[in-house]
Amino acid sequence: MIAILAVAAVTAGTVGLGAMGTRLARTTSDLLVASRAMTAWWNAAAISGEYLSAASFLGIAGLEMQNGTTALWQSLGFTAGYLALLLFVAAPLRRFGSYTISDFAEARLRSPRLRALASATVLLIGGFYLVPQLKGAGLALNVVTGAPYFVGVLAVGLVVSFNVGLGGMRGITYVQAFQFWLKVFAIALPACLILIHLGGLPARAALFGERYPSVGSRPATVTLHAPQRVTFPLATGYTVIPSGTRHRPLHDHAHAGERITLPAGELVLPPHAAVPVAAGTTALRGSEWARPVGGSGERSPVFVYSLLIATFLGTMGLPHILVRFYTNPDGPAARHTTVRVLGLLGLFYIFPGIYGALGRVLVPQLYVTGATDTVVLRLPQAAWPGTVGNILGAITAAGAFAAFLSTSSGLLVSIAGTISHDVWPRLSRERTAGVGIRRRRFRLAAVVGMLAPIVVAFFAQSVDIAVLVGWAFALAASTFCPLFLLGIWWTRLTAAGAASGMVAGALLATSGILAGLALGEPGGVAGALFAQPAIVSVPIAFLVMIVVSLRAVERPNPDAEMLALHAPEGLDLPETGVRDPFVLGPRAGV
Amino acid sequence: MDSRRDHLGGRTPRDELAEATAHGALYLRRLRQRQLALSLMALLAFGALVGVLPLAIDLLPALRRVDVLGIPLALWLLVVPLPPIFLILGALYARRADALDESFRELVRRR
Repeated sequence: MIAILAVAAVTAGTVGLGAMGTRLARTTSDLLVASRAMTAWWNAAAISGEYLSAASFLGIAGLEMQNGTTALWQSLGFTAGYLALLLFVAAPLRRFGSYTISDFAEARLRSPRLRALASATVLLIGGFYLVPQLKGAGLALNVVTGAPYFVGVLAVGLVVSFNVGLGGMRGITYVQAFQFWLKVFAIALPACLILIHLGGLPARAALFGERYPSVGSRPATVTLHAPQRVTFPLATGYTVIPSGTRHRPLHDHAHAGERITLPAGELVLPPHAAVPVAAGTTALRGSEWARPVGGSGERSPVFVYSLLIATFLGTMGLPHILVRFYTNPDGPAARHTTVRVLGLLGLFYIFPGIYGALGRVLVPQLYVTGATDTVVLRLPQAAWPGTVGNILGAITAAGAFAAFLSTSSGLLVSIAGTISHDVWPRLSRERTAGVGIRRRRFRLAAVVGMLAPIVVAFFAQSVDIAVLVGWAFALAASTFCPLFLLGIWWTRLTAAGAASGMVAGALLATSGILAGLALGEPGGVAGALFAQPAIVSVPIAFLVMIVVSLRAVERPNPDAEMLALHAPEGLDLPETGVRDPFVLGPRAGV
Repeated sequence: MDSRRDHLGGRTPRDELAEATAHGALYLRRLRQRQLALSLMALLAFGALVGVLPLAIDLLPALRRVDVLGIPLALWLLVVPLPPIFLILGALYARRADALDESFRELVRRR
């Protein structure tokens, strides 16, 4: 009940502030004027606030519980992504003055066709990244209210569409900055209080020793809403009470390593029994679980390196990241803001790992259905039954909602902007449209852009949030990262080269992911590469971009663009024309 | 083009930049290359630290066996040192990059 109130408060607050913000900041120039008064700390908190998504809030802890501490490389990569952004992108791109990746592609390489390709890629990556946000929303609403998964997906999808259609909350730096501190509070406070309450990490044997996660000193009951195929790591007796009244309780015994399909109903496990795990996942002993790297598949060194590359290089290519940098007044300010982002993200990512570890000990029944993505939401009540646990659970639920509301709003603004600005005029073949028409288009696009991710999210219920997010990062790293790095630092990049490289990277990354899905997650090096193709697709995308560019007959002459990208402020140079920002009606609320 | 004559004619690097002459482009290229060298150096430092860690943890079982405060050393290494190092690396880089910009500004404004 408290949790429902907390979630409702966060949602209402977000939508309300968004509506108010629309009235406050109507145009892009309002945003720019307002930004001059903004300090680097405010901007940094706002950037971090928009960035911390369901993947960070729920996914890392869930994957850690499921797959072991290997998952913690992901939070390292999520932070390091801003280092790559700082070193190669932040200051030049701020100076260049493009609001979106599509604007950059078009202005830097003087090619409207490259703009079209970049826009298509924005839609692909944005869609991929929206799915895990919606999945998180569906899970969270299910935990908090008991509503079916698809209701949560649909509800949050509609709220975000509505919010973005109204004008979105993105423009308001203060709101995003507030969301950041809300998320830090919501993940840090329960974690710290629970650790103090438990007196440190409990049950070391299951965490670092030779034990499997097991039931406590009292029998555990797990509700199965559908038949569930599981693997028992150790021999144990168990009881199933099938749903419906006709059936009587079934008492049975499982051998070590036996696979059994349990009927829908209640599964009762005796005290100290090792918990069975859902089909498709592996039960890990403490020592395996605690090992940060080693083994095969998604625990192998190849996978870890590939994931680090995807997150390190993919962050700069996420569609909703770039526009935030325009709240910095100039290039050096963009640098200093990014440094602060590194600090703030480092602070946040201390905490998700604690939930994964405690969840392994305190809510091992999540292994039965594989719903480990809900561990952050379920842990407080399990660790501290009673009012305190309920309050702490409400706090994490509110934080999770803040996470997917802010990130999916940011993503949807980019997607809807791309649809209304790039796709629509192309289809209708009319180039000029009044502000009113463009605003209406944007609103419709905010609904249309949400449809595909909602449909995919319905089917993606069984895929871990962290895995879905890994794909979005792989795509971004294989397409926009080479476009930015070469476009900013290499004068010989051509539009044809950029396009070929992006297509090659996108095709390799998506085919890897789809092959992995089609083959049902094969093991070994191939399995690791299918699950995270970045280590192959990123170098090839770079290579294709460079080779095709070098083969161009005519050497490009981007002196004006390079001047706009790299000339320090305060030289009183005449405007090159590249710097003029796109002023868009619908994105004005941005 | 005779660069010496241009210079004697009272033209400053700023004029060269503003008028997008070959000289202006040269000045700017030098700045760009210095900035890139700085970024690559920072990247190298980052790569050395983060690149070695997974292999080290995988290949040195001692890191997993040694416990510090009841938690394996490998986990401490994964969680604790890197985020602060990112922050320090980023701060150092930003200071140097600003300094490069500033020295370019001085060059360009000099008569």
